[in-house]
Amino acid sequence: MKASILFVLPCVLASCQLTNYVPPVTSQMATARKGQSVNLAMLHEGRTLFAHRCIECHTLPVVGRYSSKDWPDIVDSMSQRASLKPAEREAIISYIIAVRLAEH
Amino acid sequence: MKAALRTGIFVAAILPGLSFGGARHFGFIYEAPTSAPGSFEIENWVTWARTTNPEHSDQVAFRHEIEIGITDRLQASIYLADWFYKNDPAESGFTYSDSAIELIYNLTNPVIDPIGLSLYQEYRGGNRFFEWESKLIAQKNLGPLILAYNATVEAIWEGKGLTDHEGEFQQAVGASYEISPRFSVGIELLHEFVFPKWQDEEKIRNVFIGPNVAVRHRNWFVTVTALAQATDTSEEADFQVRTIFGVGL
Repeated sequence: MKASILFVLPCVLASCQLTNYVPPVTSQMATARKGQSVNLAMLHEGRTLFAHRCIECHTLPVVGRYSSKDWPDIVDSMSQRASLKPAEREAIISYIIAVRLAEH
Repeated sequence: MKAALRTGIFVAAILPGLSFGGARHFGFIYEAPTSAPGSFEIENWVTWARTTNPEHSDQVAFRHEIEIGITDRLQASIYLADWFYKNDPAESGFTYSDSAIELIYNLTNPVIDPIGLSLYQEYRGGNRFFEWESKLIAQKNLGPLILAYNATVEAIWEGKGLTDHEGEFQQAVGASYEISPRFSVGIELLHEFVFPKWQDEEKIRNVFIGPNVAVRHRNWFVTVTALAQATDTSEEADFQVRTIFGVGL
């Protein structure tokens, strides 16, 4: 029993650690949206806000858990509680969608 | 009844406009993230502690706290009042304890950086009582798992002329697993080194351990932690339960 706990626990921790919940911004992300270019500075701000504001209440989900269509509503539903200004909300959504598109 | 109804309508009316300082996953351990700038939150703490050694006594302590997000990294809190009700053979009744101010400055992020760090400073004052408390808060988020560590140093001056001294060093470690964004469970462990008269002659060491549960929804959260003493120190609580209820304003 002890041996299985000692084996399973590091595996769980390692799998959590290997998943990148806030992938770094790349230049690819700025051009991932067809016909639309996104400001890199905005994506950097979105990543910072995503990592700082959202964890005040809950841990971060993997971005791929929800679709690009669902994310704006999810962020909207919590933006007031997180004291997000409209531009900050836009930056977070842009970052998440850029990550989603870059993953595909 | 009418007043209660009016209050209910007022609260319901302002709820959509509330911003939230953040939810706690732990009852006795602080987390590294600070509140969003401009956020405003009220927290009420209730801690019930039962002591049986050397005599049976119960104490229920209350704290009313306002938490304000000042900048992206700085948060301030005011403890309007700490007070308690004690029931023991010597005396029973309500007593005002103290009020306090607390500042937390966030240095690094527990998701992006290898470890999230914050510095905590608190000043507490009451009737013939002054306390200074400093804390290093460390945290790492591994997906739905939050690991937190606090190292705390506190110094107390009390009594007539504030001539009685006591110090304490405390380490606290905890883990909280988020089952869903609204619900998490975990465990907390406190290890205290108590220094009466700022001396370590009595070698007082206390260990407390127990589970926690946290629930959050919209602009409120409730966190409950139950701790049992794993050592056998007299005049320390054998068992204590802390409930923190927070609501964003």
